[in-house]
Amino acid sequence: MNPVVTKVILTVGVALIVAAAVVTRRAWLPAIWHAIPSVWRIAKITVAEARRRRVLQAVIALVILIIVSMTFFSYLSPQEQARMLINGGLSAITVFGIMLAIFVAAFLIPNEVESRTVYAILAKPVRRFEFVLGKYLGALIVLAAVVAIMTVVLVGVLVVQDHLVEDLPDSVFNPNIAQVVFASAMSYCALAVLTALIVLISTVSSTTMTVISAFIIWVVGSMQSQIHDLAEKATGAAKLLLLVMYHLIPHLENFDFRFQASYFVPIPVPAAISAVISGILYTGVVLIVASVFFNDRQV
Amino acid sequence: MASADVVLQIEGLTKIYRSLFTPAGVRAVDNLNLTVRQGETYSIVGPNGSGKTTTLKILLGLIFPTAGSASIFGKSIADLSVRERIGFLPEDAYLYDCFSGEELLDFYAGLFGYSKARRRELVDELLTLVGMQANRKVPFRECSKGMRQRIALAQALVNDPELLILDEPTSGLDPAGRHQMTLLIQEMKKRGKTILLCSHFLAEVEEVCDRVGIMYRGRLVAEGTIEELAGEPEETVVTVTDLSPETAQRLSALPAVKEVAADVVRLDHVGEKDLWQALEIIHDGGGEIVEVSRPRPSLQDIFVKAIREEVE
Repeated sequence: MNPVVTKVILTVGVALIVAAAVVTRRAWLPAIWHAIPSVWRIAKITVAEARRRRVLQAVIALVILIIVSMTFFSYLSPQEQARMLINGGLSAITVFGIMLAIFVAAFLIPNEVESRTVYAILAKPVRRFEFVLGKYLGALIVLAAVVAIMTVVLVGVLVVQDHLVEDLPDSVFNPNIAQVVFASAMSYCALAVLTALIVLISTVSSTTMTVISAFIIWVVGSMQSQIHDLAEKATGAAKLLLLVMYHLIPHLENFDFRFQASYFVPIPVPAAISAVISGILYTGVVLIVASVFFNDRQV
Repeated sequence: MASADVVLQIEGLTKIYRSLFTPAGVRAVDNLNLTVRQGETYSIVGPNGSGKTTTLKILLGLIFPTAGSASIFGKSIADLSVRERIGFLPEDAYLYDCFSGEELLDFYAGLFGYSKARRRELVDELLTLVGMQANRKVPFRECSKGMRQRIALAQALVNDPELLILDEPTSGLDPAGRHQMTLLIQEMKKRGKTILLCSHFLAEVEEVCDRVGIMYRGRLVAEGTIEELAGEPEETVVTVTDLSPETAQRLSALPAVKEVAADVVRLDHVGEKDLWQALEIIHDGGGEIVEVSRPRPSLQDIFVKAIREEVE
């Protein structure tokens, strides 16, 4: 689609949503106000529960190990090493972040339903959408903490490595830390979008089905440009299926700025802003649908 | 027809579970009508699969009825404000098992919007009430079944509810645990709470409940106080000692006497005149009267009879 048309659609869409929200504020504002404490309490207990699960610590430890072990490639030139560290570190953060997002989000709601812990919560004055949002917010906080820790380690390794090689003759290590942090933050945005979609799937299916669907979404979402190319060449039902996938599954590759960070290329700010805004809108819609589905679910 | 003292009213409640394999559906609850009044302890009893838990789940908004309606405190069960005034103890205490009783109660109290100071007070009060102060920091997964059940009851009480809904509160507990739980329920009753209870343990139900509803295959097949359900005693039992064979023979000749054994005489449910006649014969024959009783059937007997009648 023409980028100008996309921008117009996006701008008009945002304007319409904001206008609708302002006009109908009396209907939803009190409910949102009432929901905040419950959402926050559920998010907090979700975080506390995740903190006590060893898998989280194991994933963080593994990623730290991977990042630190990449400094051992001493045969590379300083710049190549910087590039490899940034690309490898960001890739580890993305891949392990996504795997963690899948496993955290896929278990969020089905686990509560299967273990029946949801009974005692929904028997309290807690609306079902508050429960969904609380669980989602909890997962976001957990993922934010994990991505932040992994990013801090990556940045720390880059800074230490920079100091180590600065005295060498003709060495150019010079990583752009701001770009690394930015790329990591964008990876987190992708995780947030993916987590919302997994939460939506988990409101209507079992844990196993959710995990399988989440992996498919991750793969498809990361290769949407190829899906688009395939859709253009395909015909009939295959074309329709590919187009549906292209339009419904989030374009996770739009959040991928690893290349810019590792090759010291300036970040395309408009593309990043566009990805973030569309990600927020997509997440909002997905969470509304998830709340509607969970509202009708018999637990 | 809601009156001021009606806390819970169920009218024509029906729940049908349909699936691909059972297109006609399975009627888990079938046209249930039930009323619970303020301060009353009402128990739903019934065999497994009779629809007790399904009914409770509908009342709590966990599942939705196929037909019929229910109201609590005069409001629809869909009204969220109703849940500010009720407490629910789920069967088997399904709570987060990685947290301690203290943490769990703080979390559930937080869902009612209490301040941190109030929550701390409340957690202390509730842990004392259920006898878990000493084990307040023990993770839920490491608690015994009895301890879990007491924490689960405490979470049902965090909002000082007017209506307590208890699903199998003594299920899986040893006799001591069952006794403790029964005492706690009696304490709640003393505090004026309205209690709706589902249980398999008929002896406990008999001990704490004002009225009982017997459910079978989703339908309420009998309802009333234990006395109402038991009806009039069917026999009079005279416990005796030193009953001579002659006296036994004279007693057997009476039309009201059903059975004469060495130490007991059973009479059909008789009037005062027949009873006095039998007692005189025993006395005149040198027998000693130990006790005269008109035993009512136990809840177990009532339950079995009601289910048998339904099956037939």
